[in-house]
Amino acid sequence: MALKSAIRNLRSNPHLLFVRLPKLLSLLCIVVGVAWLLLLPLNEYSRRTYISENALLPGQVHAYFTGSEQNIFRGYKKELQAILNDETKDKSEVTAGVSDKVQSIFEEAGLKFARQNYEYNSAGNTHEGENSYAIIHAPRGDATEAIVLVAPWLTADDKLNLNGVTLALTLARYFKRWSLWSKDIIFLITPDSKTGTQAWIDAYHDMHPASVQPLPLKSGALQGALVIEYPLEHRFQTLHIVYDGVNGQLPNLDLFNTAVSIAGGQMGIGANLQEMWNHDDSYEHRLQTMVRGMTKQGLGYATGAHSSFMPYHIDAITLQTKGEGWEDEMALGRTIESLCRSLNNLLEHLHQSFFFYLLMQSNRFVSIGTYLPSAMLLAGNFTIMAIALWMRTGYYPESKPVQSKGEKASAEKAKTSNIAERKLALPLSLVVGLHLLGLVPLWVFNNISHQYFTTITYVVLGVDIILPLSLAAILSNGLGLSKPLIPQQYHLIKSFSLLLLGLSLSTLATLNFSLSFIIGLLCTPLSFMARLQGPAPARLATSGLGLILLNLLSPPTVLLGVCWYTNVSVETVLTEAAFGWDVWGMWTQVVVWCVWWPAWLIGGVLLGSSIF
Amino acid sequence: MALLSRFLQAFALLFLVIAVSAEHTSNWAVLVSTSRFWFNYRHLANVLSLYRTVKRLGIPDSQIILMLPDDMACNPRNAFPGTVYSNADRAVDLYGDNIEVDYRGYEVTVENFIRLLTDRLDEDVPRSKRLGSDAGSNVLVYMTGHGGDQFLKFQDAEEIGAWDLADAFGQMWEKKRYHELLFMIDTCQANTMYTHFYSPNIVATGSSEIDQSSYSHHADNDVGVAVIDRWTYYVLEFLETQVTSVTSKLNLGDLFDSYDESKIHSQPGVRWDLFPGGEQEGRLRTVVDFFGNVQNVEVENANATEPGSLKEDLAEIARLVEKWQKRDEEYADVLSARNTTDDSPTASLHLKPKGRVGPTKMAEDGSWGKRLVGITVVGACTAIWIAGSVLGRKSV
Repeated sequence: MALKSAIRNLRSNPHLLFVRLPKLLSLLCIVVGVAWLLLLPLNEYSRRTYISENALLPGQVHAYFTGSEQNIFRGYKKELQAILNDETKDKSEVTAGVSDKVQSIFEEAGLKFARQNYEYNSAGNTHEGENSYAIIHAPRGDATEAIVLVAPWLTADDKLNLNGVTLALTLARYFKRWSLWSKDIIFLITPDSKTGTQAWIDAYHDMHPASVQPLPLKSGALQGALVIEYPLEHRFQTLHIVYDGVNGQLPNLDLFNTAVSIAGGQMGIGANLQEMWNHDDSYEHRLQTMVRGMTKQGLGYATGAHSSFMPYHIDAITLQTKGEGWEDEMALGRTIESLCRSLNNLLEHLHQSFFFYLLMQSNRFVSIGTYLPSAMLLAGNFTIMAIALWMRTGYYPESKPVQSKGEKASAEKAKTSNIAERKLALPLSLVVGLHLLGLVPLWVFNNISHQYFTTITYVVLGVDIILPLSLAAILSNGLGLSKPLIPQQYHLIKSFSLLLLGLSLSTLATLNFSLSFIIGLLCTPLSFMARLQGPAPARLATSGLGLILLNLLSPPTVLLGVCWYTNVSVETVLTEAAFGWDVWGMWTQVVVWCVWWPAWLIGGVLLGSSIF
Repeated sequence: MALLSRFLQAFALLFLVIAVSAEHTSNWAVLVSTSRFWFNYRHLANVLSLYRTVKRLGIPDSQIILMLPDDMACNPRNAFPGTVYSNADRAVDLYGDNIEVDYRGYEVTVENFIRLLTDRLDEDVPRSKRLGSDAGSNVLVYMTGHGGDQFLKFQDAEEIGAWDLADAFGQMWEKKRYHELLFMIDTCQANTMYTHFYSPNIVATGSSEIDQSSYSHHADNDVGVAVIDRWTYYVLEFLETQVTSVTSKLNLGDLFDSYDESKIHSQPGVRWDLFPGGEQEGRLRTVVDFFGNVQNVEVENANATEPGSLKEDLAEIARLVEKWQKRDEEYADVLSARNTTDDSPTASLHLKPKGRVGPTKMAEDGSWGKRLVGITVVGACTAIWIAGSVLGRKSV
């Protein structure tokens, strides 16, 4: 009986149903969504990693890359050093000399060799370089598949990767003498970690722009790629495995697991991830690892030379040597040999294990089924609010439901029977217009020269303060342009904006969970933005304070705040972003300027309208 | 011709009659690996090891059906091309140069396996792909691969169920295609595979109980894969070290007693109840009854008189021969009687026995004419050839 009467009460009390309940539900979604994420590092919600693909057989082969190969390594290194340190030559001569040396080493080892020149222009900077690569054809294979070993001359941190390149050359000579390859092995030497692999992989799939040369020499479908980084001049302690790809795409978890299993299990080298050097497997460290991973995934930039492979569905990781310890280049070489043997065992593309996961330790992860609800709940809170507002605008001619007791019954009767007509034109055009307006900063930030980036950021910051207020003034007073908006139209504006936001974020959550979660979290106040009512002084004070707080969460402020916190210049970040858009095909800006920014502007308009 | 076919039938009948007797007259082995791919190297090594053992104990290639779904020896990943080893010491190359694979690659299917057992094969299937066993044959069936509760996977594409296998053996029994059968299987939950067998004279053994995995024994660090399964490894160890020759008197009891669960890491099972005399009788069968080759000749009981016995058949044949001779004589009498009355020259031809008809000589008419034509043709050809070569030389 009690339940029945509660339901009846709810039905006869639209204020509770349409105003209070959605707010409660939205808040609950947000709280549960965030709490969900915080629960993930616990043992009960995360899982231990395991090798899913039977064919990989990690660490089952003995790696023979030792002994005399070390002499070869030293010899190659000396030869390369002699050219690099030649004081009499200028930079271009050195580059050409090194390239010729690499070619002669590859060709002496019996590999086919080729070069590729490329040039990229982005934000007023020109990036050019020359890739050199060589192919071992599988002696008994059918040349339909290949593995790539990449050694960039400059690591992701812009350090000279002399040991890495030398190791690749030594491995090429060593691998050539094995007859057990079922796939071709491609050795790719790129000038840096940002552009080289991108140019090469684009050209490999004939997707390159005109400024990039096509590849004269190709092999079969690429099954996996390993990037070798050894910029140290001393023995290393651990291997740092970098796995994030462009737009938050990840390599198959099996590849990461194989690397961890071979490094740790077979070679006795520890494996780290996400720059967590002293991971004690505590909750805090797991959470920290996961959040670092999410940040990289959310930003969607290339974290190393391996990242460019991901859009082509080629699983790739970077192995970075870190710390000071016992392990030498031979240990790294054996690790790579063993990894190559595992990849060589593959019968089909890596597909058994997860592509969507969050790692929180080298042997612990959560998969998409476990973590997805948290971002979906965040996105869902906007959708709930949007639907509630839509229904409310259909029932309520006014937004103020409180009446005196005597009138209540008759008033309610009138309201429920009197279905309001929705005035859609203005709200729709405003929401669509503001979303289209997002294209302007998107275009500007991707096309102007890098020296203007800081200025433009401040301009956008100014626009963020002025635009919502002026729009609010126009809308609430008309200013001769239109009739002042009625409350229903404010609700409709908010409804459409949140609907779009919720839709975009829940779609995005399946593609790039982290970006969706981050944007969702930054947008949570927008669910509760509305035109305030009440006496003027309190209303003005609240809305003024609200606007200031809201401005602290605007895209340019967040950007400036993060830059200030991490001590990176805004120009660097935006140059990188523009480079990502132009070269890597990064989509983060689109989400920021066409999803987040318009939704934020509308929140500002709604709050601002309470001033007028 | 009719006489000959009668004789053949009589002999076939003879073999069927001796079906249920303690002695067998031939040995057949069906050795099946059901998985392909490099990482399943061990399953092919298992089968090849068994193949080597039964060959050592004398079963000829013509009586071994070897089913290998993949070619590990020629896999590009094989560090030792052209070889397959079942031990990391790599002492014995199982692939050697003396191996006959009867069903290879995608021929290894459930359908082909069942058709092989029940002999439901097309006429054009060669003898090497047929199980030619009969009611006097002891058959060894060894299977290995990836399996589960009452199924065994064939090549990632299909599986054979425990009932399918039981029915196949049931049909074999009905068609008198075995005398006694030893079924061995090494796979996960192997013992579930023989739970449904119902035809008699079968001893079945498997590597692991229900819900148990069957494990690999060890890996070779240069080949890079596990090379043999535990159960097969220890069965082979017994066969190789104890059953040293075809004269070995070790029996199945000894073989099954050699199972050591602490080494095999799973519980192997044995099923005796289908065997006449049960475990007591079954244990006495020697290992070489199934793994070796016997050359026993069955001498039929010359004094038997029941229907279908040789004596009876020979008597029947003699009666038939007598009957035909009698009829021929009567016919000849009739003809000769007619001959005397008609005096027709053609009628006497009928009486001529067929055996007397010799090869006729070819007619000699016009032989000189043909020779003349031949000479002309040869002459003309020679003339054309000479003319051609002379003209050709000129033009060059």
